[in-house]
Amino acid sequence: MTQTQVKRLAGQSLGNQVLAAVPAKHYGRLNELEPVTLKFGQILYEAGGIIRYVYFPLDCLISLLTAVDKRRTLEVGMVGKEGMTGMPFILGMGVSGVRALVQGAGRALRMRAAPFRLEFDRNQPLRQALFRYTYALMAQISQTAACNRFHEAEARLARWLLMTRERVASDEFPLTHEFLAHMLGLRREGITEAASALKRRGLIDYRRGKIQILDAKGLKAAACSCYQIVKTVYDRIQR
Amino acid sequence: MLCSAWYIRGVPAPPGLGYLGRRTILPPPPPPSTEAHRIASPDSRDNRLLDALPAAVWERWKPHLEIVPLRLGQVLYESGTTLSHVYFPTTTIVSLLYVTENGESAEISIVGNEGIVGISLFMGGESTTSRAVVQSAGQAIRLKAQILKDEFNQSGPVLHLLLRYTQALITQMSQTAVCNRHHTLDQQLCRWLLLSLDRLQGLDLVMTQELMANMLGVRREGVTESASKLQRAGLIRYTRGHISVLDRAGLERRTCECYAAVKKEYARLLPEEVAT
Repeated sequence: MTQTQVKRLAGQSLGNQVLAAVPAKHYGRLNELEPVTLKFGQILYEAGGIIRYVYFPLDCLISLLTAVDKRRTLEVGMVGKEGMTGMPFILGMGVSGVRALVQGAGRALRMRAAPFRLEFDRNQPLRQALFRYTYALMAQISQTAACNRFHEAEARLARWLLMTRERVASDEFPLTHEFLAHMLGLRREGITEAASALKRRGLIDYRRGKIQILDAKGLKAAACSCYQIVKTVYDRIQR
Repeated sequence: MLCSAWYIRGVPAPPGLGYLGRRTILPPPPPPSTEAHRIASPDSRDNRLLDALPAAVWERWKPHLEIVPLRLGQVLYESGTTLSHVYFPTTTIVSLLYVTENGESAEISIVGNEGIVGISLFMGGESTTSRAVVQSAGQAIRLKAQILKDEFNQSGPVLHLLLRYTQALITQMSQTAVCNRHHTLDQQLCRWLLLSLDRLQGLDLVMTQELMANMLGVRREGVTESASKLQRAGLIRYTRGHISVLDRAGLERRTCECYAAVKKEYARLLPEEVAT
């Protein structure tokens, strides 16, 4: 990809916000970035697995999942165009503690982890953009930890739907109750109950593996405060 | 220990504290420098991160480092505030707590002599998202924020060391998120006791019931109940905030897998234990 192509892709409104924060003159060495299309359910890396590529989502959505009891999973964070997947490689030693799963199909820019790491070490604006993003990610994970302690299924589901909606930039997306159960760490019956409640309130509709958000404003009121708190942190790092 | 003065219920919030004010009153700021003292000997590095610093960095930092005593329940910083110093615990344990609008709190992570308190500072957030509270009285080595920031921005060994610590901390936060959803209160208490013991000498912990309640995110009765369960099982002896661990192996058997997961990641990422 040429420098112009990279710049154009990253600078567009659908572009990735970490890359967009890097000034043009520093772009040259990121020319290894390549556009890819990610499919729903694709696993970018497993927990305990080596990170070979870092990904910058453009309009796709990645879930970060931790394994519980080696069988169940729980989502601890979400990454969309505001961030990057592969942070453990940048921060640590190349192995991921979580599973990165494509939850919303779409496009991303990817680069091999090793050359990216070299660039990270020499590119100050890139580093700072990534640190700000890491800060926001830590805020999101902390919030999830607290949310899991204090908040009820319905409010947590509302929050989760809103976060997804923002990152895939659509009111409608494919989703099963089974999948949601894995994300939120609830039994499927718990999800069905919470989703029915939101449906009764006219906030969402769902049928056969698809969820549609009917009333985003109402959903915000139904969500726990964690939604707005994390959103504020993310908005703040955009400057 | 008579430290519960820090937490006074039912007092209206001072202006500007908003949602934080209803259940707690902020104590005065950390002790002034007159209580602190400069690092005397070049070998006083009882913190794993400091111990891993290259000699040149250590020499540069030494004039700016102070040993400070930290009191049980002391708040090192509130969420939303900017940091003047970072702290490297040596014999103290600090909890990073999340505080909700109702004033309830829950621990997100624990920091001891393996780490640093104030990581948000160099993540470019300028302010923090959690509250840092001293869970076990002891000492820490304190450094002015700007010195750390300058070093951090130089992309050298300090940067990489602190980034690895950040990754370890993120793992702990993620595991806490899981634990809070899936595991029981006494499993969480076991996990917390084990993580604390790993960061202290000996098998005794002095806390207050109030602090334990804030850490677990429950009322005091919940603390008594969980602690009693562990006592009945012969794992600890518990009297109003003083905990003696009697059967550490038993605690490890009883806790959830979150303890081992966090411990493993910390061992992988962080430098070797400081020789004692």
